[in-house]
Amino acid sequence: MHNRRGFERDGAAPYVFLAPLLVLLAAFMIYPVVMNIITSFTEWKGYGPWKWIWLANYKTMIADEEFWTSIKNTALMVLYIPLSTIVTLLITAFLREGIRGWKVYRAILYIPNLLGYVLMGVIFSIYLRDDGVLNMAIKRLTGSTIHFLITPVLAINAVGFLLVVFLHLGFGLIYFLAAMNGIDKSIYEAALIDGAGFWRTLFKVSIPSIRFSVEFWVVFSFIEVFARMFSFIHTLTQGGPGYSTFTLEYGIFIQAFSKFKVGYSSAWSVVLFLFCAMISIAQIRLMKRRDE
Amino acid sequence: MKKVSPFSPTARILVQIVMIILVVASLLPLYNVISASLKSIDEYPTNPVLLPKAPIFDNYKYAAFAGHLIRFTVNSLIYVPVGVALYVVICLMAGYAFGKMRFAFRRSIFLLVLFMSIFPQLLLATQVSKLISLMHLTNTGLGVILSWVAYFSPFGTYIMTTYFADMPYELVEAARIDGASQVRILVSIMAPLALPMIATIAIIGFQSMWNELPFSMLILQQESLRTVTLGIAVLRGEYGLRVPILSAALVIAMIVPLLIFLLFQRYITLGVTAGAMKG
Repeated sequence: MHNRRGFERDGAAPYVFLAPLLVLLAAFMIYPVVMNIITSFTEWKGYGPWKWIWLANYKTMIADEEFWTSIKNTALMVLYIPLSTIVTLLITAFLREGIRGWKVYRAILYIPNLLGYVLMGVIFSIYLRDDGVLNMAIKRLTGSTIHFLITPVLAINAVGFLLVVFLHLGFGLIYFLAAMNGIDKSIYEAALIDGAGFWRTLFKVSIPSIRFSVEFWVVFSFIEVFARMFSFIHTLTQGGPGYSTFTLEYGIFIQAFSKFKVGYSSAWSVVLFLFCAMISIAQIRLMKRRDE
Repeated sequence: MKKVSPFSPTARILVQIVMIILVVASLLPLYNVISASLKSIDEYPTNPVLLPKAPIFDNYKYAAFAGHLIRFTVNSLIYVPVGVALYVVICLMAGYAFGKMRFAFRRSIFLLVLFMSIFPQLLLATQVSKLISLMHLTNTGLGVILSWVAYFSPFGTYIMTTYFADMPYELVEAARIDGASQVRILVSIMAPLALPMIATIAIIGFQSMWNELPFSMLILQQESLRTVTLGIAVLRGEYGLRVPILSAALVIAMIVPLLIFLLFQRYITLGVTAGAMKG
């Protein structure tokens, strides 16, 4: 949006062009968010009349162990973001060196992104079962079984590793490869002449040159963690065992659609909304910085 | 790709080994599902790992018909293209307005749209399903399509906006001097120039809608209307459903996404770089 030429306006035309979008957003985004804030002060089953209870939902929430588990789990997902960033950058750097078969590797690692969270969630729910291929192999090697989806601490870490690191790898490879291909080739040649090895080239040339892409990647990962995890959790663990794989998003779903405490779930939604607002501010600041 | 490289021959071999391990590890879950889908319900518990002794296709027959996977796929193939068409038109118009037109509050409205592009669906789900039911669109394709188009448009609009904003303004200026209306400029000059990006957002929209779960789950409660993604999610929750049958259903559900990949790989690659906020 750099084309600020004079002050002459285009009259009504822009609003006509924007009308379909803005009508849809008003109905399906702004209205729901405003209603969420209002219903967070009520006791409401999702139908029928509601009762104003003001801050009671928030008080319940602060005392609710499920809520704090959700926050903790969401934070744990965030801790996987650095690992995901490093692993993705490292493998991108491998592929960038033009090792044989790099295109095939890139395509295969992209498959999870094609199949989407629902299919991948169900696929891993089969693969990680006690009688799945992975556990059969582990049993052959060690004689014991690892209950990935039954032991709470393993289940939540499986969700974190799979969603944040594994499922985004293929996407990140394409993204970072495109970014690294935009780097001036002569910089790499100069580094090579200086005798820089693989690691020095990666940390002194590649990563600094695509700094903005890396920062956008981190913002993107935050969005995924806070706002895009529902489908994967719902199909992999369904929040379980117990509520050990609840995230904020999943908690909202359970409160609203399985316990029918819609008013209470709205209080959780307001918390999630505040987190999203912070991510959005980070995103906008980053864009401003890049444009300068 | 490159002639010179900081890798020694030994390092090259090590990297190859790492990559092969990684790729094999990422294919194993798929192998698990595909091989299970070809085993009988009696064979799977005794032979979960190795290839089936004699592959059978009963699970596919069951998943396709009794499990309604064919019907669900057809449903998706109806809803999603209609949704994508609407989505493309809306994003194109809005992207052009934000990228190339001048009006009051342009930047504020644009930032609001950008903000909405990251909203979690669960934040909206209760009210969206209530709204759809108020419009008497529960259990209709139109209901789910509207919810998808509304939810995914901010992101598509964002991509179209950055694309149009980077186009030279002289194109618009010249057309306006010739007296062309804004609609004509968009339809006959800008849209044809933006075709690769339109194809890209169409693919992004297709994948997003195809894989969408929460809204379709709330809006399409009647079994015969389910999308393929919703159908799989419901099957997963069905108590006591055997792994071979669920696996066959999964394989059937993979067909369309994989076909899309084979046909439109170029636009998927473009979509990743455009979609990830062009760093």
